[in-house]
Amino acid sequence: MNVLEFDHVTLNAVLDGGTVQVLRDVDFGIARGETLGLVGESGAGKSMIGRIISGLLPEGFLIGSGTVRFNGESLGAMSEAERRQLLGGKIAFIPQEPLTALNPVRTIGDQFDEYLAHLMVPRGERHAIALRQLSDVRLSAPGEMLLRYPHELSGGQCQRVLIAMAFSGNPSLVVADEPTTALDVVTQAQIMQLIAMQQARSGTALLFITHDLRLAAQVCRNIGVMYAGDMVEFGPAAAVLQAPIHPYAKSLLAAMPSLVGRRRMLPALFEQMPGLKMFKELSGCRFASRCGARDTTCEAGDAERIVGDDGHWARCGASCLILGAVEPGALMPAAKEVRSGVDPILTFEDVRLTYHASRGLLGMKKTSFDAVKSVSFSIQPGEMIGIIGESGSGKTSIGRLIVGLERPSGGNIRVNGHDPRDRLDHNAYLGRQDAQMIFQDPQSALNPRRSVMELLTQAMEGTGEDGPSNRSSRANRLANDVRLPPDCLDRFPSQLSGGQKQRVNIGRALCVMPKLIVADEIVSGLDVSVQAHVLNLLLEMNREHGITVVFISHDLAVVRYLCNRVFLMNRGEIVESGNAEDVFSCPQHPYTRMLIDAAPPESVGVKWPSVSLATM
Amino acid sequence: MIAVAGRSIGTKIRDFIGAIQNSPRVLVGALIVLCMIVCAVFAPWIAPNDPSIQDLANTLLPPMWSSVGSRQFPFGTDALGRCVLSQVIYGTRIALQVGFLAATGAAVIGTTLALAAGYCGGKVDRAIGYLVDLWMSLPPVVLSLTLMVGLGTGVGNVILSIVLVDWTRFCRVVRSEVLVVRRKDFVSAARLLGFGHLRIVLREILPSVAPLIITLFTLQVGIGVIVEAILSFVGMSVPADTPAWGMMIADGRSDIHAAPWVALLPILAMFMTVLGLNLLGEGLRVALDPRLRNRDAR
Repeated sequence: MNVLEFDHVTLNAVLDGGTVQVLRDVDFGIARGETLGLVGESGAGKSMIGRIISGLLPEGFLIGSGTVRFNGESLGAMSEAERRQLLGGKIAFIPQEPLTALNPVRTIGDQFDEYLAHLMVPRGERHAIALRQLSDVRLSAPGEMLLRYPHELSGGQCQRVLIAMAFSGNPSLVVADEPTTALDVVTQAQIMQLIAMQQARSGTALLFITHDLRLAAQVCRNIGVMYAGDMVEFGPAAAVLQAPIHPYAKSLLAAMPSLVGRRRMLPALFEQMPGLKMFKELSGCRFASRCGARDTTCEAGDAERIVGDDGHWARCGASCLILGAVEPGALMPAAKEVRSGVDPILTFEDVRLTYHASRGLLGMKKTSFDAVKSVSFSIQPGEMIGIIGESGSGKTSIGRLIVGLERPSGGNIRVNGHDPRDRLDHNAYLGRQDAQMIFQDPQSALNPRRSVMELLTQAMEGTGEDGPSNRSSRANRLANDVRLPPDCLDRFPSQLSGGQKQRVNIGRALCVMPKLIVADEIVSGLDVSVQAHVLNLLLEMNREHGITVVFISHDLAVVRYLCNRVFLMNRGEIVESGNAEDVFSCPQHPYTRMLIDAAPPESVGVKWPSVSLATM
Repeated sequence: MIAVAGRSIGTKIRDFIGAIQNSPRVLVGALIVLCMIVCAVFAPWIAPNDPSIQDLANTLLPPMWSSVGSRQFPFGTDALGRCVLSQVIYGTRIALQVGFLAATGAAVIGTTLALAAGYCGGKVDRAIGYLVDLWMSLPPVVLSLTLMVGLGTGVGNVILSIVLVDWTRFCRVVRSEVLVVRRKDFVSAARLLGFGHLRIVLREILPSVAPLIITLFTLQVGIGVIVEAILSFVGMSVPADTPAWGMMIADGRSDIHAAPWVALLPILAMFMTVLGLNLLGEGLRVALDPRLRNRDAR
């Protein structure tokens, strides 16, 4: 008997008076000790499945048909009290944001104790159980850990605490909703390993919700691919990863940059996943409008279920079957020769950045933190540079130093021959906007009170050329350059999707025709198919306009796809640098090797994770 | 091309009106405030009688629906035979004048200092912070009474004393919001595009804190109305021949058992005005914020 079973479940929501099917006919089961991965981009409805299990559906959302069974009993038929008793005990959750999931004003021990009290553990035994659970997730000095507050722990440590809690009641089912998305790649590998260990011990079934198909393929037995409320494909991990049937699964895989093999152009899906409000108009296959293989049968009627071997199936019109394996993208053209003998566009000479903080009574205790320790490099015009590092490695500080938003504590920075601080502090170089920055979070980077047109042409304000007709024509050109539909120009950022916002962000930086662009983690918040668009846009900017790009990221595969030369940063220092292909194929520094080993590989035959499970 | 820009502004206005229509709070609040403004502006046409004319034959006349009431004085008369309704209608003039002017003054001073403190940070922020702390440590009622004694009575001085007491409220609240907005990446982006500091403050930061200022402003108008009533209650505001709500309440106090309507109507007027302003302020904050406005759409 399956621990959890979704039996043709349909979830309805009332929106603007009409009813839409948020989930359509979702059907799967997880056996004891098994791991099922639910993969999909944002808005696919994968988190709704977690919410159905927890009973925390948003207002107006109701199960229309089908039943959800837990150990053979229907969850819908249970009373509130019965369900509450299940949660935490037999069904446990591991959240996405470990730091916000813990109450900041209470100690870990306090919160652990409360959790165990909910599980009806007698008072006398709670401390011992908490200690045992914490040492099981390899936290050093668990006794001390219990006395600490969440802010004194790192994200990885917090997630370990939450895993320890989740497994302390020997649950039959654990629902992990993007448990590693907020963590670094090495920590991610460790966390996944810990979850697997705990799971094996108590025979727990795991529902693993993620956007990362490769990660899911490494840790799951079966994978379900979700798209706009449909489970479009389901099957054994290896089969889904290596021989996907559904065109969406195929394009999702094709849009992910790779860490091995020759570099190929990423084919990007056009447009984006439809929102809830559009579901009503989409009968038949909801992917049809974006599908390259669609025919007339797709938009009419329900898609058929195509059954492959070993329980592998997809929901798609029959015509798509012909396509077979994932078609690789075209080989990436060789990068343009970087001209030698020209002055470098950017030089760092022994640059340092130290932050000072005053603590204690009356600020007597001075502490300092070296964000960047003696970094030197030089970049030629037209290069694509990748800066890789984990959080806190100083990579963002480098970006801010380049554009002049931070003043170096020591050393010398030259952008196109000028000190980047000059143009910000004095108006000496006003109008010479050599370096621009594309910010990480488009939500924060776009003033919500400006329309897209005003945002794109913001740089023209106060220059004397800011007549409405000038601005409008420039905005139209920029929108075209970054592939924004022209009807976006009147909208406000809150009316755009994440990918569109990031394009506005890029377009604004392009408005002043910069020679150098710093892109700080600009795709980390985007879905895979949108990410491919943005990456290709950067490539195009580099090829066609010769703009030098400094691309800051934690994602090795993305950097490998984009950049010719990479710098690896750790604790404020560049530990390895060189040609991208060389660095990734034969890394020299142990830190580089560790990062590469921690990334989930593309084939399922490889043993992963191969990082050591350090005690924290 | 210009049409595009025009449409953009048109969209903004349409969105704004749409948001207001969906918010009953704004509608009710705006309606009440509008009524009060109409009363204030057109008082001579609306009021049934001259508020200062004493009809000594008809003192403490009950409202017209009472058996001994007169149609000439719809809400009765006070101890000197003046029409209560007309006095309340004329009283709106002083109340709103003080409320709006005082709130404007407090908003201008408070916001300017808040923008300077929040944007410049460092020493400027600390200096302004100390000033606000020092100012707020003085008890507001004592401060404003002291100011009134020092400045002398009169409407202008009432406004001045409210401004001098209440600018700190604006400064505190707006400063913390400026600090949040200042750290947003779009402010950095504007710097990178070569904007000067003044332009960044006016074009990027001020519009972002405007909803907060408008909310505070409407609440401050309400506070101004109440403070004016308090000061005219103790006779420090308008001269005795000008009708003001506070003075009416003070006059009606002695006959509160025999003729409760004399004090009740100005209390009701004050209550409605402040309620309307608060509803409007809270509703406008939501309607003016594009993030909140589109919350349902996302």
